Amino acid sequence: MITTRPLDRRTFLRASGVAMALPLLESMSPVIARAAAAAPPRRMVTVCTTLGLYSSSWFPQSAGAGYEATEYLQLIDEHRSKYTLFTGFSHEEQSGRQPHNSEITWLTAARRPGLDGFRNSVSVDQVAANHLGYVTRFPSVVLGTANAQSQSYTLSGAMVPAETSPAGLFQKLFLQGTPEEVEREAQSLNDGGSILDRLKSQTDTLRGRVSAADRQKLDAYYDAVRTAEQDLAEVKAWQQKPKPVVDAEPPTDIPNPADLIGRIKLMFRMIPLILETDSSRVISLMIHDHGVVPQVQGVSGDQHSLSHHGQDEAKIAQLKRIETQIVEAFGDLLTDLSGRSDADGSLLDETMVLFGSNLGNANAHTPVDLPILLAGGGFPHGTHVRHEGEHNAPLCNLFVTMLQNMGVDTDTFSQSTGTLTWS
Amino acid sequence: MIKTKVMNTVARLHRAWRALLLAGCVPAVAAAAGPAAAQSFEAEVTPLVETSCLACHGDRTVTPLNLSSLGFDLTDRETYRAWERVYERVESGEMPPAAVARRPDAAVVETALGSLKRALVDANLAARGEQRTPLRRLTRLEYAYTISDLLRIDEAAGEILSRGLPAEADSGGFDTVAANQGMSPLHVRSYLDAADRALDTALAVGPRPPTERRVIEYVKSRGLAFSSNAEFLGGGAVKKLDDGYATFSPAASTYLLHSMTEGYHVPRPGRYRVAVEAAAYQAETPVTLTLYRGSSQGGPASLDELLGSYELVGDAWQTVVITPFLSPGELISPAIADADFPPGDDPLSYFQPDKNVRDYAGEGIALRTMTIEGPLLDAWPPESTRRLLPGVEFDAEGQVRLTKDPYQHVVDAVAAFAPRAFRRPLEDGELEAYASLAEPLLAGGRPFLDAVRVPLRAILSAPSFLYHHGGEPGEMDDFGLATRLSYFLWRSMPDAVLFDAARAGRLSDADVLARQVDRMLDDDRTDRFVRDFAGQAFRLYELQATAPDGGLYPEYDDRLGQAMARETELFLGELIAGDHGAGSLIDADFTFVNRRLAEHYGIPGVEGQQMRKVALPADSPRGGLLTQASVLKVTANGTTTSPVPRGNFVLANLLGQPAAPPPAGVEGLEPDTRGTTTVREQLDAHRSNPVCASCHRVIDPPGFALESFDPIGGFRTHYRASGGEPRYGHALVPGFYSEGPPVDASGVTPAGDAFAGIEDYKRLMLRDDLDQVARNLTTQLFVYSTGAEIEFADRDAVEDIVTRLRGDGYPVRTMIHEVVRSGLFRSR
Repeated sequence: MITTRPLDRRTFLRASGVAMALPLLESMSPVIARAAAAAPPRRMVTVCTTLGLYSSSWFPQSAGAGYEATEYLQLIDEHRSKYTLFTGFSHEEQSGRQPHNSEITWLTAARRPGLDGFRNSVSVDQVAANHLGYVTRFPSVVLGTANAQSQSYTLSGAMVPAETSPAGLFQKLFLQGTPEEVEREAQSLNDGGSILDRLKSQTDTLRGRVSAADRQKLDAYYDAVRTAEQDLAEVKAWQQKPKPVVDAEPPTDIPNPADLIGRIKLMFRMIPLILETDSSRVISLMIHDHGVVPQVQGVSGDQHSLSHHGQDEAKIAQLKRIETQIVEAFGDLLTDLSGRSDADGSLLDETMVLFGSNLGNANAHTPVDLPILLAGGGFPHGTHVRHEGEHNAPLCNLFVTMLQNMGVDTDTFSQSTGTLTWS
Repeated sequence: MIKTKVMNTVARLHRAWRALLLAGCVPAVAAAAGPAAAQSFEAEVTPLVETSCLACHGDRTVTPLNLSSLGFDLTDRETYRAWERVYERVESGEMPPAAVARRPDAAVVETALGSLKRALVDANLAARGEQRTPLRRLTRLEYAYTISDLLRIDEAAGEILSRGLPAEADSGGFDTVAANQGMSPLHVRSYLDAADRALDTALAVGPRPPTERRVIEYVKSRGLAFSSNAEFLGGGAVKKLDDGYATFSPAASTYLLHSMTEGYHVPRPGRYRVAVEAAAYQAETPVTLTLYRGSSQGGPASLDELLGSYELVGDAWQTVVITPFLSPGELISPAIADADFPPGDDPLSYFQPDKNVRDYAGEGIALRTMTIEGPLLDAWPPESTRRLLPGVEFDAEGQVRLTKDPYQHVVDAVAAFAPRAFRRPLEDGELEAYASLAEPLLAGGRPFLDAVRVPLRAILSAPSFLYHHGGEPGEMDDFGLATRLSYFLWRSMPDAVLFDAARAGRLSDADVLARQVDRMLDDDRTDRFVRDFAGQAFRLYELQATAPDGGLYPEYDDRLGQAMARETELFLGELIAGDHGAGSLIDADFTFVNRRLAEHYGIPGVEGQQMRKVALPADSPRGGLLTQASVLKVTANGTTTSPVPRGNFVLANLLGQPAAPPPAGVEGLEPDTRGTTTVREQLDAHRSNPVCASCHRVIDPPGFALESFDPIGGFRTHYRASGGEPRYGHALVPGFYSEGPPVDASGVTPAGDAFAGIEDYKRLMLRDDLDQVARNLTTQLFVYSTGAEIEFADRDAVEDIVTRLRGDGYPVRTMIHEVVRSGLFRSR
């Protein structure tokens, strides 16, 4: 791939458009206007920066409420009272076939990714999405900054492909098609419904002609068709309802993968829009390895190479420039979410935002001691919770707590050994 | 003397244990094995166990295996696994160990082994119900090829359609293995959507879209004129010539020169003919014109895919033609590569206000025109439309003209399409079941094309399309065989010739089958198999997973990455075409390179960008799979190498004996590129821990031998340390590195053989491991083609082939023939 080089930057900056802005006015949130009696909705957002965060710049030395903010944490320290930091979390058995395999299990905690007939298990966001179902137009929104890979996996372990185009997402969420397009989509959904119904009967017929082993496969197919049919009915019902209107300019996609920070910011601007219009209550965002030198001042290496800094000070300095901008962008997301409020409080109070990485020390690909931060969701915040002595506290315990916060009636998730409480 | 012998034995034992513990294909044993076999197994194995095993594997011994308490219930998964290990170790002669135990009577061993084998086979077969492969789903790749072959649409269009399907699970095995394949509501909805879009592509009616021709004359470009005259840039990066422009830097192609910036927008998806007129400029040595596919939304373009590289020599205009599949929003960009610049000067410095590119004397490429013509259409309406709607006619405007009752047309369409989609004749009632889906639409007055789409869409979402053949266990019928064969070698549905052979009931005839295999292997579609097999078996799909560190390896570029992949694909293709022995995987005296890769390898005298077969110089460390840059890059992280992943690659991918993962709590090595410590020093520290050493003495040696190769597969005598003088590679931005510590590629195999480097190591492998490499290749071919792992009951089939081919050195094409001929391949 050829992308713009840092040296050429001046030229390109003038050639390209200025970063887009998506002002969202107070009057745009009527969609959240609910019956006063209803409990405020619970929401979940997960953000994973898959190349890790330089440990020394992230983890504070001291625990508790009075922890001293490190280099990165100072960037978001204004929100200190709205999040909790965790140290010493991990999933067990994450050494996969490739050292980066732990990125596919960050939200699932399935063991030994990529080895011995591995099949992923359901991700925590999809458990929440299945619980909520079509209470919103989209049970979940799955996002990625570079490609279709996501961290969201269905009950049977299929990866939900990530949406990488903010413009496409905006269109799906907010733009009403022409009457012809709406009609055509309705027709396609209708046809789809009758097709699935027929496929069920055809599958039944086939079942009689195959062996027991085949029948198991056909049963899985049949179940998938039946659920898809139900989903299609829900989609059809939503299709009859007009999409929410937002007073925001549609975003323009950034085709250049070198603009890593631009793409992250664009996705971060979509998240409040999705939540505030109640288009979905569950969002996962995967910040990928973009594979190119990012357009960040003073950076000449690509993020992955820099993450393998080999203790080279110059590389660490460059890595920190990139990660600083990622953490800053995350701070802007927190500002955005806490700035939006309705009768029940701020959007952030209703929304759990999990931020972190599947790698503890990216230089050595270590999938333990993960950087994990949980903001919002109405939890007591402001502290640094350290799991001392128990080096590998199960991250899944936090996931169970998050699921319970979503109203899911469960006390287990994947590798969990209990729930997590802190104060 | 004795000491050496013991060590050798221990090493061999260790190796066997590794194989046994980690074979990774132990079946779930659920159903009961035959009781008679179980009883005789207990009676006939006990004498051996009591005389020769219990001393070390009894109640109060330290070894993990306790045969006193193991029991004989082979329906228990763990017990089955343990006996399977016992069988393998006794059968290979590694147990009981010659040095420490009294040798048992040969007859006792033979009786025990025979009986144990029968019992294990029975238990294995009972557990899986005598059917190895349950219903196998089309993989995403198979879907792509199948949908394009079935609908007769462009292969690229099929590939684009398949991107909407869920990715295959990262199972660590082939995605063709039914047990690894999932099915979900997400799949079903994706199939419905993909079918809809596939039919949008295949059913094209109405007026013929115009095939437009657009000539970009660079000399008339206003953007180039502006850029080359801009004062601020001191002349910019392009230079105006009498009849075109010269470019000196690939970065210029991200905002100048490409089709979109010159005002060309792809009107609709399709094949386009792109001709670029170019010449070398100010060039003493060849320069390379690269053509990229990219995208842009007004800002700088991202040049995502290298479509081709063409060497330009001399200042005469040359025309390069490609026919890519393009979609709206995409662009084509010509870019320069291989340009040398004068010492102390480079084109990027001509961005400064005090210099003008007119004075630049370095090598460049002159561009005169880019002509884009398309979309290219053979016929209108396209063949895909006509073949989907047999009996339907089209008027001058390309509109459908029915010649009979609309529903009868639908029935005709389904009758022609469904048997090809299902890869078998239709069963009673199927025609009606699918065709009748159109009835309510026709009755409701919807247009014929809307109505006929519904059954076609249903067929493309149906289990009989999405899954390979089902049926009773045992030998497959001819249609099942045609399907398995076709998906093996072509990754797609059978063609007309295969269907005809199946319909005539002749495919199961051994000679007919062999002729079909030869016909298929000689067809270009076999490239699909080679690419996919290389992608999965040798992990080439991960080749672009990491970008090499531009600071340490500035010489890496897209062309090198592309040439690496092609080398391995062409090499494997040649093993099949030329029926070379499997030992070529370990070492070979030839490979495939173009000039770019030849420079990387230090092979002189290769001109031009096209890949070709070359004989390797006698002193070249290259030859065989392990020394190909692709494998060396896949097993590194872009910045550093470690013997561990490379050793694991040899064990898992070449020998089929993967090492166990590290125990919990063990962390990876912390890479250090400051030049102060080497990975070997770190690993030596690691290996001083006996727990770590027990596995690493097996994993590390092949990795040590490969330490002579850097993360992009270049040969090295020293590591590169970050920081230092600027070094120019093929990129214009220099890397900064200096010479680090020397590389030590020596080691000792677990069997105690010392080696100095890769050459020695390959010799040892050829001597000791050739059998196992061939066994693993045979196994992998079986697993890949039949969609099921090789289990205990299947091993004889593999061993038969290995034994038969041993005398000839395991020729690979013959191996494929043997696999297809085998009962394992022909049964479900």
